[in-house]
Amino acid sequence: MKLTTARICQLIFLALFLILFVQTEYRGRDDINAAVNAFFRADPLVLFSYLLAAKSWSWLLLPAALMTVATLVLGRFFCGWICPLGTLLDLVTSKIRKSTPIKALKGNFKYWLLLPLLSASLFNINLSGLLDPIAILLRAMTFLLYPVLGLMSREGWVGLYRMIGERRDALAPAYNLIRDNLLPFRDTQYPLALLSTAILLGIIALERFETRNWCRNICPLGTLLGWLARFSPFSRVPQLLCGDCGKCREMCPTSFDQDVLHKEECILCMECLQGCPHERISFRPSLKLNGCGPLLPERRVLLGGMAGGLLLALPICFRYPEKQSRLLRPPGVRSEDDFLKKCVRCGECMKVCLKNALYPSAYQAGLEGIYTPLLIPRLGYCEYNCTLCGQVCPTGAIPPLPVETKRREVIGKAVFDKNHCLPFARKIDCIVCEEHCPIPEKAIRSRDVQVMGLDGLVRTVKEPYIVEEICNGCGICENVCPLETKAGIEVFAVKNRTPISQSSVGQEAKESSIYH
Amino acid sequence: MDRRTFIKATGTALLLAPTLIKEVLAAHEQSLVAVAEGTDYAAITRKAINTVGGMKRFVKPGDVVVVKPNMGWDRSVKFAANTHPLVVRAVVEECLAAGAKKVKVFDNTCNDPRRCYVNSGIEAALKGMKGVECKHIETERFRKVALNGTFLKEWDLYDEVLSANVYINVPVAKHHGLSKLTLGLKNVMGIMGGNRGYIHRNLDAALADVNAHVKSHLTVIDATRILTAHGPQGGNIADVRVLNKVIASTDIVAADAYATTLFGMRPSDIPVTVTAYKRGLGEMNLDKIKVVKA
Repeated sequence: MKLTTARICQLIFLALFLILFVQTEYRGRDDINAAVNAFFRADPLVLFSYLLAAKSWSWLLLPAALMTVATLVLGRFFCGWICPLGTLLDLVTSKIRKSTPIKALKGNFKYWLLLPLLSASLFNINLSGLLDPIAILLRAMTFLLYPVLGLMSREGWVGLYRMIGERRDALAPAYNLIRDNLLPFRDTQYPLALLSTAILLGIIALERFETRNWCRNICPLGTLLGWLARFSPFSRVPQLLCGDCGKCREMCPTSFDQDVLHKEECILCMECLQGCPHERISFRPSLKLNGCGPLLPERRVLLGGMAGGLLLALPICFRYPEKQSRLLRPPGVRSEDDFLKKCVRCGECMKVCLKNALYPSAYQAGLEGIYTPLLIPRLGYCEYNCTLCGQVCPTGAIPPLPVETKRREVIGKAVFDKNHCLPFARKIDCIVCEEHCPIPEKAIRSRDVQVMGLDGLVRTVKEPYIVEEICNGCGICENVCPLETKAGIEVFAVKNRTPISQSSVGQEAKESSIYH
Repeated sequence: MDRRTFIKATGTALLLAPTLIKEVLAAHEQSLVAVAEGTDYAAITRKAINTVGGMKRFVKPGDVVVVKPNMGWDRSVKFAANTHPLVVRAVVEECLAAGAKKVKVFDNTCNDPRRCYVNSGIEAALKGMKGVECKHIETERFRKVALNGTFLKEWDLYDEVLSANVYINVPVAKHHGLSKLTLGLKNVMGIMGGNRGYIHRNLDAALADVNAHVKSHLTVIDATRILTAHGPQGGNIADVRVLNKVIASTDIVAADAYATTLFGMRPSDIPVTVTAYKRGLGEMNLDKIKVVKA
């Protein structure tokens, strides 16, 4: 890889992506100013599927609209200058020996992917995040690679303690620096971690057949950008290979399949411009649409793709009702349907979640809900004063809310299981749940009752009960329940997620200095 | 005095001597509780400590000291869910002034440790102090300890406490749903690992078991403001009462017993205190405790 302007730009954006990824974590401040969501907010595929599915506008996606306009003017520069997955492929492709391209991927294959995705969005099933290149990269990093990095570092650090004990403290400053700035805060394992990574590795493996195989034949974002690029006034001159040279074919990472550079596949990497021995090549406005296919793919593909989307949208909506009862969404999500229309499944909320309460849904939300975030209280609860997931969600599927509002948002409602809960089942005191309930008025309270213990003696036991009107379903009660495996109190999903009353969350004087 | 009388008298005296000596010594060791009042929290903390003998009595030069505040909840200072940062800082400064080599401040928090350390204000209050560590709990440092108590036979305790020379307990006085109040004796939960909720089923005995093993050399109770209801984390400013008091004692039970009165309750109302008293961990009868206004 020769370091040209475009390559340096690619590396900068890859570095930016990684930095923002690491920054998408609580590091001592309530607000995250810059998160990796910037990449999704500037992602036209996210924009188009959002517009089609939600049928409304969100200012969060303004950068994606600007990117769309920029692509209309300049062409498909995103793929050759910005896309972190593309950069990753460029970095590894030279190490992979090529065989012949896969025939089945040629032709209209990419449209058969993009069109059903977009048309399914129109029918309220927003699946574009499943094949969005940035989402694929981010999910593999969030669900497997980053946790593995954390696990290995921590295991090494703990192993050191086992070996040298307190003397490890001498190295603590160095380790703390890495831990505080680079590592995930706690070790978490995610479902679908292997699948997410396998998809990324599969995309890399596709380089076995030709360079940028994913980008030119599959990627729905690339296909969309390529289609927009057809309208760009700029193009490479000459558009055909020169009869006397033809070196461009080797240098070009994407096209020149039929001796002509297809404009929708040119990622403006400028390799041919830099490498031309005759300095014949330039990129400039030209009104000729030479070497460009028709503005729309064939009618067959267009209609077939649309119909495919409809066929895709209907059957995958099936859900088992009993799975729904534990389908807890992040705070602020009031309607499941609305959420599914907007969620990109990028995994950022799960990465940033302070208590690692959010996990990708594997089957709980049906096929349509795969990779959408799910709160699993037994693994982590929603921290009362934390608003991070809403801050990093690129589309506002989890709305960004001020903390006073977020505290009142209902995730679900807690219910006791009297067959397990100790004061009921074994007639002994416990109420760890009441202790942890963060609602100032306490959504879990207890009363003294005279009961006959299992030993036949009458005693006074504190029996807990739930004040449902002020329970926000944060799940800390289920999380801290000292019973093993199954908790004696569980949070169940509710349809009516009207926020709990203002008065129940208490008077909140202005946060001031730490001393008063 | 004839021989018979002499032998009788000597015998009786020898038999009674240990008890008598104990009585005399006990009178000398009457539990002392210092109570300082004022709005300069650092100053009243120092006053209270000085009244029970000053930090030099507990901390020798070169000692490693653990100062264990309550900072278990993601609540800001005014809600009285965590020990006041100025009180913690004053205790830490006294330790350093007494020659401590290192002062370690930590708590096994209930909410996310990062948020608790930040929002309690304690991390910020100690920032930049030389010889002071304010680190999160590291789970590998918990060590299974044989307690041989009445309820807990063994439990995971934090090795930094076990290996420290001095352990200073700095709780905040507040309401608690199960134990009515949480004070010095209950603050020890912050050095426990494992499934801590388990001990709630026999909290009084469990706390006595742990406190019998880990003795607080000095207990400093922050009652600058107390949480009177919806404890232990509160969150409503209406439940907070400002008292501007700091209590210090070498007797953890006596400190707790006195602090109980601030809530209008008697020490005998608090089962945790009663159990600890019966276990011989300290004095809870207010008429046997010497309360000194510092």
